[in-house]
Amino acid sequence: MENPTPESVCEECLKKTKIHYREDGRFFMPRLLSINHLQLGNSKILHNPLVLIVEWLYRQYKHLRDAWKRFIAWLFPRPTKVWCHHADSALVGQIHYADRDNLNTPIHNLRVEFWGRTRWLQWRKLADGYSDDEGKFSLQFELREARNWKIYKTQFEVYQTTHVYFESEKPKVALECCYVEQVPVSNLTGMRYNLRTIHLHLWEYRRDTPVPRTEIKNVDNDSPQYYAQGRLDALFEQITPLEVTKAKHLLQIEQAPETISLAQIQSDYPENLTVCIERKLPGYTRSDEWFGRRMMNGMNRGTFLPDKENHNMFWVKYFGVCNYEHNDEYALPTVEIKFALKENGLPTPTEIHITGQTNAFDKNPWQKKVFTPANGEEWLYAKRIARVNGAFSTEVDEHFTGTHLNTEQYAIAAYRNFRRSPLACLLFPHLKEVALVNHSADTLLIHGYIPSATALTENGLHQRCYELLGMQDWKNWKPMKPLSEAHTCAKAEKMFWDLTIDYVEKFFAENLEEIKHHWIEVYRFSQDLVNHAVPVFLSSIDWGKLSPEEKQLANDRIEYYTYQYSFDTSAKRETVNGELKVVSPITTSRTFEESPPEDMQNLKHVCAYAIMMATYMHTWINEHQYDDLGEVLYSSGGLRYGNKERGILAPESDLSISPDLTRSTQMLWFTNFLSRTEYGFITKNEEGDVNPLFSKMLLDRKEEFAKLGVDVNAIESRTNI
Amino acid sequence: MNTKKVSLLQAIWIWLGEQTDKIILWIYAMFFALMIAVFVSFKTRQRMSHNNGIAGEGWLKIVDAPEFPEHPFFEKGKQYPVRIRHASATYLDDAMNCIRSISIKFSHHHWHSPFDIEMNTGAQSLFWNAVSFLKFGSMRKEQYGIEYVEYLRRYPDGVDGTKGAVRRDPTSFHNLHYYSKTPFLFLGTDGIKRYAKYRVLPLENEEQTGVEHRFSEFDLCNQRVLPFDPRGRNYLKYEYEDRVKKQGAKYRLQIQLHTASDDDDPEVFNNMVLWDERSHPWHDVAHFHIEKTLDWKQSTMTTFSVNNMPKTLGVLPAKSIYDYNSLNYLRAHSEIARKARMLSYKVFGMVPPIPDNDNRNVSGWGE
Repeated sequence: MENPTPESVCEECLKKTKIHYREDGRFFMPRLLSINHLQLGNSKILHNPLVLIVEWLYRQYKHLRDAWKRFIAWLFPRPTKVWCHHADSALVGQIHYADRDNLNTPIHNLRVEFWGRTRWLQWRKLADGYSDDEGKFSLQFELREARNWKIYKTQFEVYQTTHVYFESEKPKVALECCYVEQVPVSNLTGMRYNLRTIHLHLWEYRRDTPVPRTEIKNVDNDSPQYYAQGRLDALFEQITPLEVTKAKHLLQIEQAPETISLAQIQSDYPENLTVCIERKLPGYTRSDEWFGRRMMNGMNRGTFLPDKENHNMFWVKYFGVCNYEHNDEYALPTVEIKFALKENGLPTPTEIHITGQTNAFDKNPWQKKVFTPANGEEWLYAKRIARVNGAFSTEVDEHFTGTHLNTEQYAIAAYRNFRRSPLACLLFPHLKEVALVNHSADTLLIHGYIPSATALTENGLHQRCYELLGMQDWKNWKPMKPLSEAHTCAKAEKMFWDLTIDYVEKFFAENLEEIKHHWIEVYRFSQDLVNHAVPVFLSSIDWGKLSPEEKQLANDRIEYYTYQYSFDTSAKRETVNGELKVVSPITTSRTFEESPPEDMQNLKHVCAYAIMMATYMHTWINEHQYDDLGEVLYSSGGLRYGNKERGILAPESDLSISPDLTRSTQMLWFTNFLSRTEYGFITKNEEGDVNPLFSKMLLDRKEEFAKLGVDVNAIESRTNI
Repeated sequence: MNTKKVSLLQAIWIWLGEQTDKIILWIYAMFFALMIAVFVSFKTRQRMSHNNGIAGEGWLKIVDAPEFPEHPFFEKGKQYPVRIRHASATYLDDAMNCIRSISIKFSHHHWHSPFDIEMNTGAQSLFWNAVSFLKFGSMRKEQYGIEYVEYLRRYPDGVDGTKGAVRRDPTSFHNLHYYSKTPFLFLGTDGIKRYAKYRVLPLENEEQTGVEHRFSEFDLCNQRVLPFDPRGRNYLKYEYEDRVKKQGAKYRLQIQLHTASDDDDPEVFNNMVLWDERSHPWHDVAHFHIEKTLDWKQSTMTTFSVNNMPKTLGVLPAKSIYDYNSLNYLRAHSEIARKARMLSYKVFGMVPPIPDNDNRNVSGWGE
């Protein structure tokens, strides 16, 4: 290509840097021990051939053990026939949560079964049923069948839903035994036998955080959910080379720092979009055109708030450290970018306002600097600051809080409550594993990387996430409104939202009666969501104690976030324990018959919202991370103040303000790792858990999405890593 | 109605199963009776439970206008001598929270009679068949007046039965309501097979005392005398003695009937399931008047048996240890225990009366 245009270069680079997953399969390739052993430093990578052989043997042992279990299950099947002609006795009891705050909270609709085992080890089902709304169960069985001389032991079992899958386009619920109690046969004397209150640790809320999070005691063996093997295999294949690269860098930095440079680190990782474009069109990725294009349609999917005076001008705002706990090494001022829309519909920056500390010496948090293209080199520096702050805000506010944490609150409430309702089949495929992913993120990102590579401390991050989650509500949520034809990101978002609404409507039409029948699950789902939700953003602050500047900032944030997150401030919300809860109730009626008509609409909306957040909204940021955060000097999680008066208003060549070598390799490792999940897509449906109707509806609109630059095959079915 | 074809082999198999059930039931009953006879009746000179009691004598008259089907034994206006015994189970302390009882024999003899019936307070029982009764016995684990902790944890029907049966600090044995609970045969003059339950109430409408309403499971297990309760170990027996001496004690014996049919649900025989009084009303059988009480020795000697019944009013047959009728089967097969107790009195002498001392909350003389 002799005269490449920016468009053709971008397209070529997009294709070139698109992440593909292909299995290597070499035996002696280094392997990651477990996804749960990923470390910011050196993860547990197996290099030694001897260890690899032992690890291989261990895997064979596990395969053999699984095969043995399957063989035993085949040899001693669990037939569905219930051995009961005339029920004259009953096993009774109740099931409650085991965590100390919920000892009296019943677990409804749990599958319960009563089994007998014959002297020749065959199973006989004596009774089955479900716990009722109050967690009570009464399994009616025939005494003579239970005390038949052939039966040598009887046991009571409780099952929880682990996942949903589709077979012949019909949803199936996979159950897993989560509790077994032996019932001495001699204790069965007729009438009722009381198993008392059984306390189970099922999908409990964490007590150590006000954010609704899942209690995971041990991610390897005591967790409410585990990663699918296919996901682990895909991830191991993808991440191991990156892990080796990172390990090499860390070793070099520690042992021989003179042998490594930022450029070398950058070149050791796969080429990303900006590096690729920069190689073909030098300077283009630092241009105003690219800046505007990426702010609108890149990872950040910026929110363009119309200017109050000139409606043809728009503001994109990235709020900085605000009042959150922060360190003295990294800068995070508030950045407000004023854009004008060009004729082609793309935005171009006209002003950048930076408020806050930009060097290590002047600590005034309210100092303000305004830059325009006329500022020459400084305009370039300001754009870099805007990119970096945009990346930070996108990752922390939109990615982690808006999708990960937001989705988890729906996941935990759904898994705690949907058992017999078809809503389990609608939601579970999209809500699975997010609790696990977030658990890993706590260690790797919130405790590990981000406090060391950005301005906020771990406490500051927790506080920011907590407050920002206070702007996430399903009620009247709408996707971003497109500003122009070129606003492909918003158009695709709306297209996916409309498709999701359509899918949810169809699902409800098919399953309406069952949903109504099990309305109590919706009621409890709503209760859990509301009761455990965080308060509305800044709803509990004492405005009287704020300085004028702080008040102005708080008001600015409320205004901008309300627009950004489509937050309906007029929605009716509940106050629980003195906190105005951000998540609106779906229903306040225990039965469908008692509920007002809008409750069904609420339910549809909340389902569509949860699916939207877990799939498309997360995918967008996740898949674009490597495009916009895959070049350290272009953008990063934070810029250091450095040791000069100019602080972060400095060229890219000043490496004292860019992340150091360790943070650089970690950042590239992260963005690669996070973008390279490559498993769990709606259309690929690797685990057969996505409703084929949803996949088909998406594939039917493949061309329309492609025109907007969205590959439907790359949209994740759930919140991946 | 669906019918199931059964081959000859299957029929034999079923028959064999039924015979096995009956053999097991017989072994159960005999083993139980033998154990009671040897280790309780003979060795300790005690009844199985209701040791703490007082007997009385008087006359019983069948009502003049019976409203239940005619039966030769319950011929209208007929008079019988009657001996009764009130007792508190199982403790030797009237002030404890106990089940109270009345046992009636249509005779003034301590042993022989044409008709005996035993009743306890509460319309429901604490156990419902032979196997549950043995479980009940094995899970008693009494200590310091607290018992059946695990039993009541595990058997909610036992809890219901206990709540209905125990009476704490009643003012008199006389104003309590007593139920036979388990049904008996009633084959009247018309030849129609019926099942019968009996109960005894005071003749005049008196308020039943000692009924508790606010229970927890722990309270049910704790039958101890309440702190600072001034009532003595024998207060109920003394009250009854004084009452009979002053005015006598008048009762009414009532019957509740269920007409048998081939498709009767087995639950008809379940002593935990009450017959609906709207379809199964209670009818007066007889009124009786106790004119004198008996001393400790006569009271202790007085004994009752379900075998002391006319054949047409007797025990219903039981098929297995799970059959609800197996409870009466056990009673009917425990004659040896009664005899062993009588023998022990001859060999070792009579057990002493319960003293008015402060040895409270005990169920045995040796404690």
